[in-house]
Amino acid sequence: MRLRFALLFSILSFYTVSGQETFTVNGVVQNFEPIYVFTNAHIILSPTSEIENGTLIIKGDKIIAVDTSLNIPSGAIIYDLKGDYIYPSFIDLYSDYGLQKAKKGQYSYRPQYESSRTGAYHWNEAIHPEIDASREFVTDKKSATAYLKNGFGVVLSHVQDGILRGTGSLVLLSEKSEHENIILPKAANYFSFKKGVSQQKNPSSLMGSIALIRQTFLDAEWYYAQDNQTNLSYAAVNETQELPNIFAVNDELDYSRVYKIANEFEIDFIIKGNGKEYSRIDEVAATKFPIIIPLNFPNSYDVDNPETAEWISLHKLKDWETAPFNASILAQNEVDFCITSSGLDKESDFITNLRLAVKKGLSKKDALAALTTTPAQLIAMDHKIGILESGYLANFFIASKDIFENGKIYENWTVGEKHIITKKQEIDIRGYYTLNNKEFENKLVAIKGSMEKPKATIFALDSLALKTTLEGGNINISTKNGTFRFFAKFHNGNIKGKYQDSIGIYHTFQLQRDSLFKETKKPFTLTIDSLIPSVWLPNKAHGFTSPPNAENIIFRNATIWTNEQEGILENTDLAISNGMIIALGKDLDELIVFPETIKITQINATGKHLTCGIIDEHSHIAISRGVNEGSQAVSAEVRIGDVINPNDHNIYRQLSGGTVASQLLHGSANPIGGQSAMIKLRWGSTAEEMKIKNADGFIKFALGENVKQSNWGNFESIRFPQTRMGVEQVFYDAFYRAKTYQKQWQDFNALSQKEKGKAIPPREDLELNALVEILNSERFITCHSYIQSEINMLMHVGDSMGITINTFTHILEGYKVAEKMKKHGAGGSTFSDWWAYKFEVNDAIPYNATLLNNAGVITAINSDDAEMGRRLNQEAAKAVKYGGTSEEDAWKMVTLNPAKLLHIDDKMGSIKIGKDADIVLWTDNPLSIYAKVIQTYVDGKLLFDVEVDKKLRERDRLERMRIIQKMSENATGGKKQKPEPTSEKLYHCDTEYDE
Amino acid sequence: MMNKKYLNLLFTLLITIAVQAQKPTLFMGATAHLGNGTKIENAAISMLNGKIDMVADATRIRIDPSAFDTIYRVHGKHLYPAFIVPNTTLGITEIDAVRASNDYIETGSINPNVRTLIAYNTDSKIAKTVRSNGVLIAQVTPRGGTISGQSSVMHLAGWNWEDAALRIDDGIHLNWPSSYYESGWWAEPGSTKENKKYNESITTLKRFFKKANSYAKSSSLMDLRMESMKGLFNGNKTLYIHANNASDMLDAISFTNEFSISKTVIVGAEDALKIVDELKENNISLILNRVHRLPSKVGSPVDEPFTQAAKLQEAGILFCLSYEGEMEAMGARNLPFSAGTAVAHGLEYEKAISSITLNTAQILGIDEYCGSIEKGKDATFFISSGDALDMRTNNVEKAYIQGVDVDLNNHQKELFDKYKNR
Repeated sequence: MRLRFALLFSILSFYTVSGQETFTVNGVVQNFEPIYVFTNAHIILSPTSEIENGTLIIKGDKIIAVDTSLNIPSGAIIYDLKGDYIYPSFIDLYSDYGLQKAKKGQYSYRPQYESSRTGAYHWNEAIHPEIDASREFVTDKKSATAYLKNGFGVVLSHVQDGILRGTGSLVLLSEKSEHENIILPKAANYFSFKKGVSQQKNPSSLMGSIALIRQTFLDAEWYYAQDNQTNLSYAAVNETQELPNIFAVNDELDYSRVYKIANEFEIDFIIKGNGKEYSRIDEVAATKFPIIIPLNFPNSYDVDNPETAEWISLHKLKDWETAPFNASILAQNEVDFCITSSGLDKESDFITNLRLAVKKGLSKKDALAALTTTPAQLIAMDHKIGILESGYLANFFIASKDIFENGKIYENWTVGEKHIITKKQEIDIRGYYTLNNKEFENKLVAIKGSMEKPKATIFALDSLALKTTLEGGNINISTKNGTFRFFAKFHNGNIKGKYQDSIGIYHTFQLQRDSLFKETKKPFTLTIDSLIPSVWLPNKAHGFTSPPNAENIIFRNATIWTNEQEGILENTDLAISNGMIIALGKDLDELIVFPETIKITQINATGKHLTCGIIDEHSHIAISRGVNEGSQAVSAEVRIGDVINPNDHNIYRQLSGGTVASQLLHGSANPIGGQSAMIKLRWGSTAEEMKIKNADGFIKFALGENVKQSNWGNFESIRFPQTRMGVEQVFYDAFYRAKTYQKQWQDFNALSQKEKGKAIPPREDLELNALVEILNSERFITCHSYIQSEINMLMHVGDSMGITINTFTHILEGYKVAEKMKKHGAGGSTFSDWWAYKFEVNDAIPYNATLLNNAGVITAINSDDAEMGRRLNQEAAKAVKYGGTSEEDAWKMVTLNPAKLLHIDDKMGSIKIGKDADIVLWTDNPLSIYAKVIQTYVDGKLLFDVEVDKKLRERDRLERMRIIQKMSENATGGKKQKPEPTSEKLYHCDTEYDE
Repeated sequence: MMNKKYLNLLFTLLITIAVQAQKPTLFMGATAHLGNGTKIENAAISMLNGKIDMVADATRIRIDPSAFDTIYRVHGKHLYPAFIVPNTTLGITEIDAVRASNDYIETGSINPNVRTLIAYNTDSKIAKTVRSNGVLIAQVTPRGGTISGQSSVMHLAGWNWEDAALRIDDGIHLNWPSSYYESGWWAEPGSTKENKKYNESITTLKRFFKKANSYAKSSSLMDLRMESMKGLFNGNKTLYIHANNASDMLDAISFTNEFSISKTVIVGAEDALKIVDELKENNISLILNRVHRLPSKVGSPVDEPFTQAAKLQEAGILFCLSYEGEMEAMGARNLPFSAGTAVAHGLEYEKAISSITLNTAQILGIDEYCGSIEKGKDATFFISSGDALDMRTNNVEKAYIQGVDVDLNNHQKELFDKYKNR
């Protein structure tokens, strides 16, 4: 029965033209739909085929036929296009056409920790997959016009707000009712990392958004299996899981972030990019994601003032030059991509920028595919839209010429509905005329200008400036002061009409065309600029032109700080190869060290000091968009590893100070923060490549004033805990919850396969997963700590849970509990001499490191500061000054000891055969204030070299000048951007929000 | 012969030879860094009644031990004039996060009349840790607003601010309106934005200075703000203009010329190397930003902040180093090491000493009585067992302020002593 009905419906749809049956009509029904025929057209059927002298026949909303020689049905309305071009209309997958923008909630001085939404929805206001664009969609003629002008016929529209944003609808840009315009109510799911208008605190960071998305997917899975509660948000996730998923990213680094989510949950994403994919093209292409790119090429900068022009970073200058090549670079790398018109300053930039992309090497075929067939395929609508073929929707536009060159759009037809974009001027009134009437005799009149906008000059009127307007064959000419006002009609080379003179009297006149106007404008030629500017790694100052290789080197005659039993060796040689230390000793024989013939570099290190690289136990550099997820007391689910920023300039700066590895820590805004990332400062690599492989997982805990929000002002007094008393309870609560959770899983996993099938599995919780890892000693704690009472407390918590607090970081009163720390097995990583910035550092002393070290605690000195991170050698030397630590021990505090605390001392932290070739060559004793880095190697790759650095400065300067000159010569885009200094985001433990 | 007399004495022991009073105290054998760009390898330096009495090369003069009250034998050690930290909130703040302990920003934007002098805490716990590293003098400086107020130059010892004061109300601090500003706050840093009110702010400033100038010439009623400005026009006070970018500094220079202010110092001066000619032409000296800072721009050379001092020295600009910035009060003890970094990056050692001693004294207008080891100047100096610019060797054993022995103990050393022998 149901089948028959469906069949009937589909047959009917061939013959019904209008879907108005469900409506009553006020008056007489108008239901006739004529057949339209477009002849003599250059028809681009699809990106791969086109016909000359073609005919297109449409009826109602569909194409009936399109080909070269077709019989024209009787009664059809015929348009002779005389060689005009017809294109399938464009499709935009990233639009909010016909939808209201999301409204920002009320701002409150008090932080909002809970959702202000009522109903059975997700706890987080930024997660609203249940929002369905079709329920909000309203046909909007005015906004539609903007799209129609650019050749679009169909857009996929969604409310651009939130993290799980909901579904978008595929809609037509016609003036018809919503019922007809919505052709696919739920066409795709939308995602982003931005929480949008939500005023709820969580998430306050990018890593928080990522964790929230992952947890939501897990919860939706769990929701599917359970039966004791209703949640419309999870239900929506499950119901829409077959739809295409479109993820709007902020930048090119987000691709690998989405990629990880895609792999974890086996979801295919389409990425809405930022137009800078070229700068990380290998990484982007490797994800195999189809991409939607905007054509938001940066405008030129105002570079007239050399001083302010210096504020424009080289990165921005290079982006200005390379961004228009983005599409062409994607095509070359065989990335599937489509183009969106979103993200432009003004809509008219779309065609301009599209043509610029073509000039920069994007083939017309690829350009058209990106606007028609690719988007249609991505949303599985390629049987209805995207090409011109019988049975497809009658969505097309007519243009004067090639749209990718200089064609002008005359008409844009959506489902058989005509929209005039530019009136086609078929009459050419231009030429040289003779004016005759009673007042004038044989006076010369010239009409020049363009066909559409002719410009008349009447020499008899002393060449007065005239305003000429042409509408069809109707001509108006008037002097600017209004003394003469002509109106006339053009017919067969003659213009006849009247004018009113300054005293109001009408005169008849006639213009006889003597000769035609000759067009002097050069015909358009497309010149392709295929010279793609070089893209550096990263694409900014000091970036590599090509990635460095691990070298084979013998350093000769150096003073080597081994950090091993041998201590400091004078006049000693060191050999590295394949990223490893392979030999150490006096007068190494290179033939023995390197038995195979390979290229070896010999470096004379006489008078110089050679050490392993510095390891910063506590760093917040190289992190994207937020170091704290302080919106909850426990945020163990967030991972710094998700948000590594390989473009951060501090990586290079710290290499120049001998630092080679860092623990990137979550901040200290809450008692249990997020998971750390262990990286080497591999400048020029990707985020994933920077991570140290197989390193143990760590997590940030914190104590003291930050976690109780003591210094956040009077309004931040809601979140538990607000005292040290509360902090203890947070830890116990978290660990007991984790234990219960672990037990639930153990019980579940102990079930037989059959029993499992019947049981509902426990809900997987990312936060508790991390805590269980701690309980199982699979993840280790680095705890931000200040005063002895709380340090003592956490060790008690640890003891009672059977875990060891791996590292107390900051640990400024560690010297007061050094014996207890030693007994517990905790290490300490401290500041050399910071104090007096908070009440809790009253008793912080610079002798701390020495006292801890003397007590046998593994002691490190860390930075927590981008500036200090590049001269940690000086900070280590302060342990010599304060308390008299030996130089060897002081040096270990920034090398071997942090390596031990981070469990990477099997590979790093000393000069030992078999360890990683993370080597620093110094001018002097590295603890001396006068010591400077000559070279820094990471994995045997030379990542900083004082001589290379000089060359890079020169290269960067010349590159700047080259682009600035180019910018001065040929500015692109509309209004010039004003150069402004850019402030770098520098994170400390305390930095709360960022987006 | 002479040396034999001392052979039996322990190297580190302080030796007192009781002789008649009113005789000078002598320091023998140190490498004396005079502060004026020179040093004496084996110096004989004496002090009497709080003043330096003799500065000589020990190898060239004959010493009569009976002529001295006390003789300290300090061979192999280094003697320096007091290091001076200009432009600091030391003494008017104790704990950054505790508002009650902060006395450096007054409300309102034009406060030339407020004075750090009377807020200066002679028992600051921080100051004691600073002087233990050789920094014995500070220009205690207000912050905030457009005109923050007046600084005073203080010794980091004294029973009260009156006897700690070295130069009272030495100058007025003007924060030049920046053409760009950073938005956001410390927990939530924002982006850099153009200051659209720049010109308006300058106009307001000019109006205020015009009024002040007029008041200085024809005062009748007492107006505290105007009264405090008088010194700028008669040369008694220095105008310290805090500015960093080149264009702002040039505006500041023409401003100070317009009002014929005789003593102008630019504080900060990040872009100083771009306007060397103008600085020279107008005889402007500089108090520089903390050496240990990040380069001004992402693409700037990594060592840009470290090499600035050497380049300015070469250009012939008078400058001194400061430690302004985050945690500047407690960090003031690291001022010597920032000079050390400047040495590592090309500044000649003795010039680096000048940049935290005599240059500073000249810029602050106290060089008549301090800043260098010179006969007749205050006996304000210290002795370090090693090179004081390097943290490996900086070890201040003795320090004097106007001849008075300075207690080098501090809260932190006390805690160290308490816990090390636990």
